[in-house]
Amino acid sequence: MTISWIQASILGIFASLSSMPGMAGSTIGNYTLGRPLVGGLVCGLVLGDLKTGIAAGVAMQLVYIALVTPGGTVSADLRAVSYIGIPLAMVAIHAQGLAATSGNAADLAKSMGTLVGTVGTVLFYGTATMNLVWQHIGWRAVEKGEFKKLYAVDWGYPWISHLFFSFIPTVLMTHFGSSAVHALRTALPMDGIPMKTLFTVGALLPCVGIAILLKQIVEGPIDFIPFFVGFTFAASLKLNLVSVTVISLIFAMIFYKLDMAISTNRQPILNGSNDTITDDEEEEDI
Amino acid sequence: MANIEKKTLSRKTLNKSFHHWFYGHLTVFSQEHMQTFGYLTSMLPIVEELYDNKEDQEKAMKTYTAFFNTEPQLGTVIVGITASLEEARASQGIDDGEVDDATINGLRAGLMGPIAGIGDSLVVGTLIPVILGIALGMSSGGSPLGAIFYIIVWNLLGYFGMRFAYFKGYELGDKAVGILIGAQGKAIRKAIATIGGMVVGGVAATWVTVKTSFKLTNGSGKSYLVLQNQLDSVYPGLLTALFIVLCWWLMAKKNISPIRVMLILVVVALVGVLVGFFNPGLTY
Repeated sequence: MTISWIQASILGIFASLSSMPGMAGSTIGNYTLGRPLVGGLVCGLVLGDLKTGIAAGVAMQLVYIALVTPGGTVSADLRAVSYIGIPLAMVAIHAQGLAATSGNAADLAKSMGTLVGTVGTVLFYGTATMNLVWQHIGWRAVEKGEFKKLYAVDWGYPWISHLFFSFIPTVLMTHFGSSAVHALRTALPMDGIPMKTLFTVGALLPCVGIAILLKQIVEGPIDFIPFFVGFTFAASLKLNLVSVTVISLIFAMIFYKLDMAISTNRQPILNGSNDTITDDEEEEDI
Repeated sequence: MANIEKKTLSRKTLNKSFHHWFYGHLTVFSQEHMQTFGYLTSMLPIVEELYDNKEDQEKAMKTYTAFFNTEPQLGTVIVGITASLEEARASQGIDDGEVDDATINGLRAGLMGPIAGIGDSLVVGTLIPVILGIALGMSSGGSPLGAIFYIIVWNLLGYFGMRFAYFKGYELGDKAVGILIGAQGKAIRKAIATIGGMVVGGVAATWVTVKTSFKLTNGSGKSYLVLQNQLDSVYPGLLTALFIVLCWWLMAKKNISPIRVMLILVVVALVGVLVGFFNPGLTY
């Protein structure tokens, strides 16, 4: 399997649309086209092997199912995962002769995707830094009161950042990377230490994604309880995610009512006791 | 002289403002001004409709040059609130009333943080993983059905959810602030964090598997201790849960960056493979 210039260019355009500050906006871009599952669909269609594309996308989506970017800190770049990692993983899966939906193919895809995704953070910082130039133009427009220029600053100029940090890297890496992947097979045997390690890392990395999310909601040991209740429902009772969500709603409702009851009751109780105290004093005065 | 006539934004302008935010809140992202320009383009149609003279327009737009960043889907509600505040400022005359620069920016700064907290755990932590989880199940055999399902469901929820947030914010105006960060807001956030925590636990148990291949064998080659089975008989998924807690501990308690944690996992994997704790069992 090889990737032609035309195929590589289509992937390049999708990379520009889908990155974290992407040109399709964050709902359609980052959160739709940027998801590896959707990337797998697109790459599968572009490269003409839907099944391998989806399978690689599913595998990589698991790693990044819970990727959050609090305050613009990025641990992986999804445009690189979805539009550089998935095509290269597809080539690698073909080169290694693995079945598209096998566990080994999935592990290979995961390792490949996370490697490219981690290196790809360079692209994220590159885009964000180049955008400073357009923002500078924007500030001068605001000073002069030429507000219409803001539209070009927000919707037009960033395409230039993406030409350099999304389009060109994607085209070059997918086109030439495929021959590198072919060489990989001979260089690294499957039962060697490097490949075993790479596969194991692929299985461990999803823990980081989950942990980043937990960091947002867990402050102390007690906050871990909902997490472990959900974990137990799925791991021991084999409930699926929708069922877990439905059960969680009843707990959410109880906590909400409880909190509201506490906050609305506290005031009257305090006032009430104050009243009785003042009443007593008044009585004594009399 | 102060202009006392009540000004009302047209539906068309509000729609325009919403769409500018929906599309452009992050397009010209930089580390210095994350969503500031998205906010400016979103307020421009509103300012242009409310103020006839250039001078007032410039004054109004200056307000929105302050730094802005939040969770953008739920953060739409803030844009809606400021649309309503700007309307109030225009009705009272830009220099003459109680709604001024400081009111609007104080409100924006005060809401940014709490909204980011709720938004990250509600949208990114719960909603997206749940839809993705369903979609992954549908696509696990290599079928495109799950991907198509995700595209449709998420975009419908995303678009109409954000639209609802914008117009609710506009309708409630500064009354929304009390709901969002008052006692009720705190209770809502706690409830959402509970849903988030449980769903994330479910996601982890369903989609993450850390397994050991460590076993002890007797002389005849029969294994008498398979560690993975022992661990699972204590608590199913124990090893996975331990690794997640370890990653959380490293990041939350030791302040190690996610990239460093990943590098630590590479080392753990290498050592694990060398001592025979991990073995993916691959062959050509």
